[in-house]
Formats: sequence, structure tokens, C-alpha cells
Amino acid sequence: MKSASPRHKASLAINNTITEMQKVVDFVDQFGAAHDIPAGVTNDVNLCLDELLNNTISYGYDDPQPHSIVVNLLLTGGLLAAEVQDDGKPFDLRKAAPAAPGGTLQSRKVGGLGVHFVKALMDDVAYMRAGRHNVVRITKKLQGGTANGHS
Amino acid sequence: MDIAEQQAGEITIVEVKGRIDSNTAKAFGERLTSLINTGRGRLVVDLKQIIYISSAGFRALLVAGRLADETKGTLALCGLSAELQRLFDLGAFTDLFTIYGSRDESIAKLT
Repeated sequence: MKSASPRHKASLAINNTITEMQKVVDFVDQFGAAHDIPAGVTNDVNLCLDELLNNTISYGYDDPQPHSIVVNLLLTGGLLAAEVQDDGKPFDLRKAAPAAPGGTLQSRKVGGLGVHFVKALMDDVAYMRAGRHNVVRITKKLQGGTANGHS
Repeated sequence: MDIAEQQAGEITIVEVKGRIDSNTAKAFGERLTSLINTGRGRLVVDLKQIIYISSAGFRALLVAGRLADETKGTLALCGLSAELQRLFDLGAFTDLFTIYGSRDESIAKLT
């Protein structure tokens, strides 16, 4: 069993295409395995990174040029934080319109669902605009557990 | 994500493994709509080996579910883990789909 402290940090840069997102999944899984992070925590972080990156890649850019998106993982003090840095249009997900659940199979919309998942599954969501970059940090408590296995 | 199909009479079992996320949802959705459009419209999607479904995956399920409705077919789900059920509840999807506990229960109820 490894301690959640001291700090462990890792970084990954991807291009702004959907297919690049598999690299992030593998990156988070490998970081989780290396530091005995419970699979439930890494799965929630992976799901939320999927929502954040999909938003950025799908809606964050007005030009067809390639852009770099940086994902940082930080493990410290019983917390796993994932930080996404992109040079897309300013977007503070904390202020995004909430999902509109309910309705029928035919009428149901999923707009806002990704942001809803992020807010519900993470213990903290922070945002800042730093120069030309969005910086989003999501944080999940490890809740004192160590891995029982990784997916 | 891996997808496999098995036939149980008129029912097609679609077994999915891994994650249904932004990178895989398109292929997942296309497989379901292709089955429905080619006359295999009585589907049970077995999610027992799914780790999570992102909003892109839920969108694909909704599209396939609507198509099944419109073509008088069936789209049922089974095998949800507690973690997956939590996502269905968070997204308020539990009441939108027919969900069975297991593949055997699905086949028994739909046959």
C-alpha cells in the first residue's frame, strides 16, 4: 500500500481531436495503477475528463488548426485532481445551463448532461481564465481507500 | 470498447465491454441503429461489462431507443452494475428505458 502523500504529478498533452481522448483514458488508468488509487475514483475522473475534453474539442475552437490540450494529474493529501488546460474559447462550466432531465424517451434532451455529471461526481470543480487559456481543475476524494483492482 | 452479438430466437443480445465514451459512442450507436434498420429490432443491450457511460453514450442509447420505438421494435437493457445504475439515476435515465437484471430475465420477459 502506497501513501497518498507526498505529491505525485504527471502530465499529458494531446491534440484537439476526439480520437486523442483514448490517450487520456490510458494515462489516468496508468496513473491510478501506479499509485494504488481506487478504480472507482479513476473511473469517475476518466468519465468527467471525457465530458470536459469533448466539450472543448467539439465547441471550443473556431479555427481548423491543431491545438494542444494539456491534462495534469495531481495526487496529494487524499485527493486526486485533474487539470485541463486549453486555448479554446473562454468557457466556465460552473456557469453552464443545467441539464433538463425528465420527459419521455422521444422528448428527452441530453444538453448539459456532461456538466451535470462533472458537478455531481466530483468533490470540487474550479475554473480560471489564465491569459489565453481555460484552466479547469476537478478534484475527487480518495476517501481513504486503496485499490481493490483496476479496470 | 468491444461489441458482440448473440441471437436468442427473435431477440438479439448486444454485449458491450469497456467504456461507452466520446471515442466509442459513435460506433456503439451505429451498431444499434444498423441492427434495428436491418430488421433485428428486438434488442437487449447487456451492459454487465461496461465500466461507465458518458453523456455521448447516453445520447447514442436515446437515439437507438427512439428508433426502436418508431419502428415498433424493442430496446431493453440489462446487467447494470451499481456504478452504472448510479449514472442512470444521476442522468434521470432509469425510467426512460426498460431495464432488466440479467440477460436471462430479459429473454424470459421478451419472449
